Amino acid sequence: MPRPVHIGRVFFRVFAISLVAVAVSGCANFDAVKKFATLSSNAANHAALTRDYIAALDRRKQYQPSVFHAELEAQKTRREAQQASLDVLQQTVVGYMRGLGELTTGEIRTFDKSLKDLGGSLNKATLLTSDEKEAIGALSTLLARRATAIYRQNEIKKLIRDGNQPLQEIIKATRKIVTRGIYADLQVESTVVARYYDNFMLAPGNPMEPVAMALAREAKIEALGRVDSRIKDAQAYDVVLEKIAHGQQYLHEHVNMVGDEALNEQFSPYMEELRYAYRNLLEIAR
Amino acid sequence: MDKLHPNDAFELGNQFRDTAMALGDWRIGNRAILTKAQWDELDEQEIRLLNMASRIYTCAVDLVLLDSQVAVVQLRSSVKAARYAVQHIATLKEALDLASALILFAAAVSSGNVATIPAAIVAVNDAAAAILQQQGQGSEGA
Repeated sequence: MPRPVHIGRVFFRVFAISLVAVAVSGCANFDAVKKFATLSSNAANHAALTRDYIAALDRRKQYQPSVFHAELEAQKTRREAQQASLDVLQQTVVGYMRGLGELTTGEIRTFDKSLKDLGGSLNKATLLTSDEKEAIGALSTLLARRATAIYRQNEIKKLIRDGNQPLQEIIKATRKIVTRGIYADLQVESTVVARYYDNFMLAPGNPMEPVAMALAREAKIEALGRVDSRIKDAQAYDVVLEKIAHGQQYLHEHVNMVGDEALNEQFSPYMEELRYAYRNLLEIAR
Repeated sequence: MDKLHPNDAFELGNQFRDTAMALGDWRIGNRAILTKAQWDELDEQEIRLLNMASRIYTCAVDLVLLDSQVAVVQLRSSVKAARYAVQHIATLKEALDLASALILFAAAVSSGNVATIPAAIVAVNDAAAAILQQQGQGSEGA
């Protein structure tokens, strides 16, 4: 019976060559991208800021005479209409990062199917010994993993390459809204609050009652402190976005290193900065 | 006519906010000479200006002003002139005139009704010029 012997020789030759190929090519390491994508998707998700931007008009009512309430209400309606668009900006960044993260960890269906088909063929291959079938299965898994890794590596690179410019623009737009719109509006709120208490303490004809003045001063400090926390929150979120943009830009500029273990080390300062910025945001938002 | 870019709108909002703050400082600094009614009247104008600043920020965020056809340079220089004039306000009437002109101006900008903007610019410039002229005459007289 010469046939099984022939298959066995061919098989083990292919097996040996393939094993060397797999060993030489090594395993792709996506740790840097994976960690960055996971952290970024969490950090970019800050819907509370948008809600706070809308709620600002309600907060302001207590510091303004009722004659202005209708106008504040109209402004609130206008901001409510912006909410979906503002959320889309944030969610697009989150979505991109989740997609990137999934590519670094997810199994690719195409290869799952190939492996299943191979399993079925192996069962039908009656001329192979069970040891040979086991060896083919093991090798095929290795090869498929490697092929999957290469496929994923290419997809990750493609996503980073294609996604960089739109992502940078979206982050830039969001940062502009946060710093020039939300932050600036909070400064208005701070002025409105300060004005309210100053009026109480300084308006002509108001009795300078010491206890009432002391209470007003205390209330003013507390109220301004709350606005200040919101300002810090907006600033911290802006820093988070800045760090995400920097990290993404670095990956884009070093996209050929994706999958290379050396990227982990080189990228770690960017990760550290983002981690620090996110921690700061969480502490302020607490 | 240049298009009003969101950056310009944000900047305009900042200038309204800063002008309102400057008026508030003037009011507090001059509280000894103001009656309660005068104090309240000026206070209301400041609130209006602050709300206008917020309204302009909202407009800028919404990019509503993106397609508005207004002269950016004119807008900026007019509000800057008003801010400079605040530092030279001598009487309550001047403060109220300037605040009213600014409110008219902000309303014209945020409404997107381009036709009303030139008149509003003129009103702001006039109010600012009147204050500076009065200041000049005061200096000469002294």
